[in-house]
Amino acid sequence: MSQWEKTEIEKALDCPMTRRRFMKWLTAAGVVSAMPCSFLIPRDAQAAGIVYEGGYKTFRNACPRNCYDTCSIVTYVKDGVAKFVEGAKESTFTRGGLCVKGNSYIRRLYSPDRIKYPMVQQGRGTGNWKRVSWDDALTRISEKFFEMNEKDGSMLGLAMTKYSGNFGITNYGVEGLMSSLGYTTRLVGTPCWPAGIDAQNYDMGNMWCNDPEDMVDARYVILWGVNPAWCSVHTMKYIYEARQRGAKILCIDPVLTQTAAKADEYWQLNTGEDGALALGMARHILDKGLVDQDWVAENSIGFKEFADYLKQEVTLEWASEKSGIPARRIARVAEEFATADPATIWIGYGMQRHVNGGASVRSIDALVAMTGNVGKIGGGARYGHLQTWGFNYHAMIQQPPQGAKGYLGKAAKGEFDFTKKSEGPAYTNRTLNINKTAREILDATDPPVRALWVSCKNPMNQDFDRNLLEKAFKKLELVVVVDQFFNPTVEQADIVLPVTTLFEEWTVNAGYWHYWLSLNEQAVKPLHEAKSNIEIAAALSKKMNELTPGSCTFPTNIDTKDWMAKEFNKGVYDLFGINSWKELKNGPQKAKTNLLAWGDGKFGTPSGKYEFKSDLCAEHGFNALPKYVAGRKPYDKLRLLTPHTKFGLHSQFINLDWMEEFNPRPYVYIHPETARARNIAEGDRVRVKNKTGEVTITASLTDNVPADAILMYEAWFKNTPYNCQNLVDDTSADMGGYKAGAPGVAIHDQFADLVKA
Amino acid sequence: MAPEQRKRLALLRDFFMARSGKDLSLACTALADWAGQILGETDWDEAEFAFNRLFVGPMALQAPPYASIYLSTDPRLMDDITLKVRRIYEMAGLESPLQGRLPDDHLGVELDAALGLSALAEDLDAEEPRALWDYFLHEHLGGWLPQFINRVRRAEANHPAVDLALDHLEAWLAHQDIH
Repeated sequence: MSQWEKTEIEKALDCPMTRRRFMKWLTAAGVVSAMPCSFLIPRDAQAAGIVYEGGYKTFRNACPRNCYDTCSIVTYVKDGVAKFVEGAKESTFTRGGLCVKGNSYIRRLYSPDRIKYPMVQQGRGTGNWKRVSWDDALTRISEKFFEMNEKDGSMLGLAMTKYSGNFGITNYGVEGLMSSLGYTTRLVGTPCWPAGIDAQNYDMGNMWCNDPEDMVDARYVILWGVNPAWCSVHTMKYIYEARQRGAKILCIDPVLTQTAAKADEYWQLNTGEDGALALGMARHILDKGLVDQDWVAENSIGFKEFADYLKQEVTLEWASEKSGIPARRIARVAEEFATADPATIWIGYGMQRHVNGGASVRSIDALVAMTGNVGKIGGGARYGHLQTWGFNYHAMIQQPPQGAKGYLGKAAKGEFDFTKKSEGPAYTNRTLNINKTAREILDATDPPVRALWVSCKNPMNQDFDRNLLEKAFKKLELVVVVDQFFNPTVEQADIVLPVTTLFEEWTVNAGYWHYWLSLNEQAVKPLHEAKSNIEIAAALSKKMNELTPGSCTFPTNIDTKDWMAKEFNKGVYDLFGINSWKELKNGPQKAKTNLLAWGDGKFGTPSGKYEFKSDLCAEHGFNALPKYVAGRKPYDKLRLLTPHTKFGLHSQFINLDWMEEFNPRPYVYIHPETARARNIAEGDRVRVKNKTGEVTITASLTDNVPADAILMYEAWFKNTPYNCQNLVDDTSADMGGYKAGAPGVAIHDQFADLVKA
Repeated sequence: MAPEQRKRLALLRDFFMARSGKDLSLACTALADWAGQILGETDWDEAEFAFNRLFVGPMALQAPPYASIYLSTDPRLMDDITLKVRRIYEMAGLESPLQGRLPDDHLGVELDAALGLSALAEDLDAEEPRALWDYFLHEHLGGWLPQFINRVRRAEANHPAVDLALDHLEAWLAHQDIH
């Protein structure tokens, strides 16, 4: 073709006006008698509508990941394609910026690796996949469900495992789908934060933290086992601002994190000795007469017993020996903390992932309370909250089909289960501990767990004792996985169903840290054949009712926007000061009240006061007082830490191309002394082994980790078989059973050793 | 384009648009017939598994069948290349019924477009469709299909049925003077 022609075509491709001129021949030249296309269709120029030149249409989105920041996002769409995202400026928390993960979202939406169609695997783990229609996939699932119901007389053979892969509220329709099928088996609990939730419930009667934006008013900030520089980047600005205004920032962590590097002072404490350290500080505050006696007298019970315990069993020297922090430092900081007004502690989730995690959180709560910092702007024992989660849970609350039979034992409830206790028959779902998924599936009988429905979760990568989980999967007759990418769980599925990203569905999102509420609009059509979780539920219900009328109560025709709207109620509107969800189209809204936790001194405990001594805690089998509890006894030479990575959230994001560029492979991080003793050099391949399993991985030497520990980030890399759960057993944390349905997991009480491979 | 090349192009489109082993078997058998080749005994399940590993999923694709992956500097689906291809269709009075869901630059769709664009160029008495077809063929298809073929040939997943289709795609391109 001539250069002139090429230039003319390219001009037309770039400019709608030129294109329209170019296309005049279409009407002038007549038509081709038989167009040979079998896929493409004649373009309806009228239906194509207005052509925007340079203009973007914007949509409101919200990051639904399990993250402190739950960012409010603006998505820029042109030609029906999402071009880029930015943080919403209307949210003072997100303030126009996203984190490294959020900025990569377009790469996730448009990754060629996304699961595109319903597919069926011939032989789990073989990689022999056939593409099937939605109708075919749902028919297969329905028939298996009917067979199970016939055989067992109930749907208890169907188990659901779902957690935090997508916190958009309508995604609780997955639980709704299960309920609409009858009484099923639920993996209940959370690997995340349950020990701390219970601890705060014993102490204060709820998990409730101040608005993080009021940290600017703190005059002393202790970041205890939390790494916001990676995991809550938006909170860092409040910490910096507090420092500008004169606050001191202390970071306490076994690992020298990015947050530690940015703090004024850093304490590398012995892992799991947080409780001893907090109690040591408490004892010194007591000795120095720095207790806020007025606050304690007015707002608490049990302080005298706590003080007696401190005097009898805790000394600075003991705390120093346990924690590894010099006594004079503990004393100095204890005094600084007690005299700063206000002072606050941010209690991270990592520090409660221990067999003594709940006890440690209670000790830290006590430290904050005895200094009068609970219920104060800029103060508080900050952990998390669910104040802004008062939705209708319309998608979640579904009734079982008539005549459905269930379980007659006691059922547990997760921390995000907002359903009220139902009336009627005593049947319930059967609940199994999500943190012992492998063991529970293997042990469940009458009926056995025959089918597993997985959504918003990647158990093969995130659940504990991977080897045992592989055995448990072998017992399952059907595994259905709803996901976006081919992760290790999809690898072990019989049927995979493609699910939408946040850009392809309507929902609403609240945070568990900040107080903002964000609308999530559908910005683009779902790619390929992806459906949202509630659309999948509706489609399955339609198929089941077609085959056996009355077999599933989930509504069969749903409008996802309507279902988003149905999550709102007067309580939500009043809290956020809006009259309609439509106002969220103008930007996210912040709660108007409840921003100050326990400001009125009315606690949710049985006594209505802060309980240094909790009888409820004692009734549940723990100490009534926030006493020291020893950690797990080491079962191997080195402690193994598996915290969050900067480039992902649990098993998400790490597989995206932009992330791979900066973070192409996993490492085990080893202190140079530890490496030297084993003749290991930087870049060596090493085998990390313990009683649970083994991981072969590349070594990286750093003194950011203590000499008695090794560290590898939890992650799923698409091109390596790396899985840190090969080495993490399912030993429980102390607390969590009260409010989260099951105790947490002692993720950081793991041990291992390593040798050169 | 000679009628028999059009026929071959239509069969290649059917191959790359296949949803099942059955579709693959129909397309491959017809391609072999077209060329007077004898198709050996074929396990169509195996062909389907290999086809899905290469082009469909659910695993990460070994040879994504989208132009943008080969022509963009920071490749992903639905990028500027995809939209450029959409505009080429528009300029020919065509559009994808799955616009916004199936990327417009999926190989199957592009081969379907090639049939349409070449027919317009040949059957109508106008300069524009001839220039448009020429552009699509040489500037676009010619820009990525050789790379794509190369990537499929080097991929781990393979099957004689895929090789057959690739040979035909290569031969068709050669017929259009693209190497």
